[in-house]
Amino acid sequence: MRSIVLEEVVKVFPGGVIAVRDLSFEVADGEFVVMVGPSGCGKSTTLRMVAGLDEVTSGRIWINGRDVTNLPPRYRDIAMVFQNYALYAHMTVRDNMGFGLKMAKVPTAELDARVSEAAKVLDIVELLQRKPKQLSGGQRQRVAMGRALVRQPAAFLMDEPLSNLDAKLRVEMRGEITSLQRRIGTPSLYVTHDQTEAMTMGDRVAVLRDGVLEQLGTPTELYEMPANDFVASFIGSPAMNFLPGRLRLDADRQVVDLGPWEIGLSRRVLERKPGLAGFNGRAITVGIRPEDFGDGNLGAGQDVVTLPVTVLRSESSGSDVMAYVERGHPDGREKFAKPDNKSIIPIIARLDRRAHWSKGLAAWLSVDPDRLYFFDPETGLSV
Amino acid sequence: MKRAALLQVLQATLVTAIILWSLGPIIVGLLTSFSTETDVRSVPPIWVPPNPSLTAYQELFQGTGAASTIGGTTTQEGAFGRSVWNSVTLTTVSTIGILLVAICAAYAFTRLRFNGNKVFYWALLATMIIPVFTIVVTLFQLMASAHLIDTTVGISLVLIATQTPLATWQFHNQLRDLSPEPEQAALIDGCTRWQAFVRVVIPQMSSGIAAVSAILMLAVWGEFLIPLLLTSTLRSKPVTVLITEFIGKYTTNYPLLAAAGIIALLPPAIVVLVLNRRIRGMLSGAS
Amino acid sequence: MPPVAMQTTTVEEAKLGWKMVIPVILFATILILYPLTRGLLSSFQADRSLTGGRVKWVGLRNYSEVLQDPATRAAFLHSVQYTLTAVILEVALGLVIAVTLHRAFRGRGVILAILILPWALPSVVSGVLWRRIFDPDNGLLNDFLLRVHLINLPQVWLANEFWGRTFITVVHVWGVLPLICLIFLAGLQGIPEEVYNASAVDGAGPLRQFRFITFPLLKPAVSVALTVGTILSISIFDEIYVLNGTALNTRSIVMQVYTVTFKEADFAHGTALALIVAVITAAFATLYILSLRRAAA
Repeated sequence: MRSIVLEEVVKVFPGGVIAVRDLSFEVADGEFVVMVGPSGCGKSTTLRMVAGLDEVTSGRIWINGRDVTNLPPRYRDIAMVFQNYALYAHMTVRDNMGFGLKMAKVPTAELDARVSEAAKVLDIVELLQRKPKQLSGGQRQRVAMGRALVRQPAAFLMDEPLSNLDAKLRVEMRGEITSLQRRIGTPSLYVTHDQTEAMTMGDRVAVLRDGVLEQLGTPTELYEMPANDFVASFIGSPAMNFLPGRLRLDADRQVVDLGPWEIGLSRRVLERKPGLAGFNGRAITVGIRPEDFGDGNLGAGQDVVTLPVTVLRSESSGSDVMAYVERGHPDGREKFAKPDNKSIIPIIARLDRRAHWSKGLAAWLSVDPDRLYFFDPETGLSV
Repeated sequence: MKRAALLQVLQATLVTAIILWSLGPIIVGLLTSFSTETDVRSVPPIWVPPNPSLTAYQELFQGTGAASTIGGTTTQEGAFGRSVWNSVTLTTVSTIGILLVAICAAYAFTRLRFNGNKVFYWALLATMIIPVFTIVVTLFQLMASAHLIDTTVGISLVLIATQTPLATWQFHNQLRDLSPEPEQAALIDGCTRWQAFVRVVIPQMSSGIAAVSAILMLAVWGEFLIPLLLTSTLRSKPVTVLITEFIGKYTTNYPLLAAAGIIALLPPAIVVLVLNRRIRGMLSGAS
Repeated sequence: MPPVAMQTTTVEEAKLGWKMVIPVILFATILILYPLTRGLLSSFQADRSLTGGRVKWVGLRNYSEVLQDPATRAAFLHSVQYTLTAVILEVALGLVIAVTLHRAFRGRGVILAILILPWALPSVVSGVLWRRIFDPDNGLLNDFLLRVHLINLPQVWLANEFWGRTFITVVHVWGVLPLICLIFLAGLQGIPEEVYNASAVDGAGPLRQFRFITFPLLKPAVSVALTVGTILSISIFDEIYVLNGTALNTRSIVMQVYTVTFKEADFAHGTALALIVAVITAAFATLYILSLRRAAA
């Protein structure tokens, strides 16, 4: 049973900064868990504690069933890939990869065999005799991975290994890392600040903010059922649109009043989100993902609501169009009361690439109320 | 983790050893300078003077009395003071001279294009390889014929010649790493090269200049061999030379010698304390 | 000739370049190259005082004579001893000190200032300070050794063949060590922290980290330190002058040049010897520059 377990891990730095608060989760055998979050959320600190490079203030860490909380890194049977690769500049690629085995006093024959095998898997056999400074960024990354692979450890730890690669290489390596991990089945803990990476690579994703685990779940869970508005806005790009509104659930009509917009809620929606009943008459925050909007000008299907918008600007990326819009139409704007007299909230909508939305255009967005997200304005928790 | 505690104790011990090793002889000198000759000569010798006195310092500046021990150390009134003054003027004049020559030369070598730029640069660096005692005899003859023996100016000229190549090399390296853009902006704004140099480049280099000045001052203040050979009287003798005359043929007045040593080390100590960081940066980036 | 304002920038540049470079060239030529050449020439001539003022060319005779002088040979050996001992001590101690002071800790700045102090002092002053320690009648060393009964009589350390040179080496190392420490500190700074992290994860403890990571990566710094230390050792003079004068048992090669040239007033042989030493120093100085380039790479 190989796994990584964190139990109520806390990290306080000298000076009083609390980097990690009561973090508990598990990485099961064969699982690839990604820790993601904004800078300073504690993800790298957590990884370093699992590695043994930083001391745990309180709490426990198990690897492979052993309590490693107070053990130095070399006794934890782990392998780590660093953001800047941390290759040994004075050694050849072969020696770099074999270093860990040499420290473990693995006999030369076996050492050479394992290094060659890992080199083949990572396609770096021709590089074995070279030194790090003769390699490109992508090649160095592979050597760093090779060094980890060769150890056949109980757990893999990866600290933003792809951040220093260019975009295209990053996408390529993402796939390679996940397929490699799937083949070998070692539990892996991966840190990144890029939510796309997290979503595409992780079996489960842990979203952290200010040292707190906001949510741990599969990518789908995080996308469809975010625990709070932070997770909802962090996952998905471009970020979810948030609108302040008021819920009005009368006997004959049930709507959420968003000021310039009013969206009717079907019984199905109310059944799926029973918590909404408690917000009747109260303020509520509504979230709509840009990709859940459609071009309302093309007509609407059943159950789909169309909403008036004025276009601020639109950007075409070739594959789709990002429309930045204002709610309401110029002529009818005075008719709708603005709830808090706040300034205009620009809405981002992702539309089909054929949409031609020029600035100033009065247009329509369509949205399925089923795709709405609701959050408590005070706590941010999902309803 | 016992390991961490052990390492900390080890580090603390080593740091203490470093402090004792570095300051030990200086403290010995300090204590000696406050002792009297009787303290020093007693058997066993007294290290911490029971009655610290400033006799040694007084004698240093006011001269030892006429009744002094045969073959021991004597000093005339004002002799030491004069030598300190000589050291101060020598250091100031030489440092300024070296800076002027080296900064101009470094700028020219780094930023200006002219025939022979590279050749002269490498030739200049090559002169660093020649140790000074090789040329000192002929220098003496040269200085003598120019009536520059035993003058501060004369010694300064020699020191400028010997120290400028290293200073130029340092400034060249600094200039290489400095952005050329402010200078280019100044040229576009209407400055001549010289104006750009004085108004833009030199200010840009100021922290580097401070660091090199510190090192130069230390080097010139500590010069011994050249002044030893090129001075003869108190007209120009610096402290480093005069202090060796306090070592008597048969016996030595140690408190006097120590007091002289302490005074002689004060300016370098002050420079180190004030310019600590800059000096470290300069020395460790010795390339 | 067009007015200055109309000259092309390259001409203006070249003229300014020359003007700014002339001072240093003048200094170097008049005060270094000229004396060097004069010295070189006179080293091939017989001593004027012996020939009654005439110029007489004797080729390499001065060189061979000075090399056959037993005092010169002794001085050469002494210098070799000084260099070997000093350099080994400096590199070993320098590494230890640098590793100790590498990581930040409270008061590190002050400790480093204290570390530099011995280097900043004039070496003459170093000799003066240590003199009280080595003095035969009133010195700390004898006092201490007598108290712990390691010796029975006060010793004249500096007159001893072995101890004289050893203690002079100690004084010399005292003054040079700070520089070597700084060279190693800079080298250590160049090793990224992540590499230590990686080696820790790979299974290396502190000792093996030093052996497989720190030491190999410090090799360029070590060669810089070796050459700097050697050049400085070859030119030991001030400390010897203050502690033991021109006594033969502690004479270094530069002290020998001084003795021959000034104490014995033998300019011809003195210059010849000086040039021999100059060539040796030049060789090491070249090594220094080359090792710096490798370190920068």
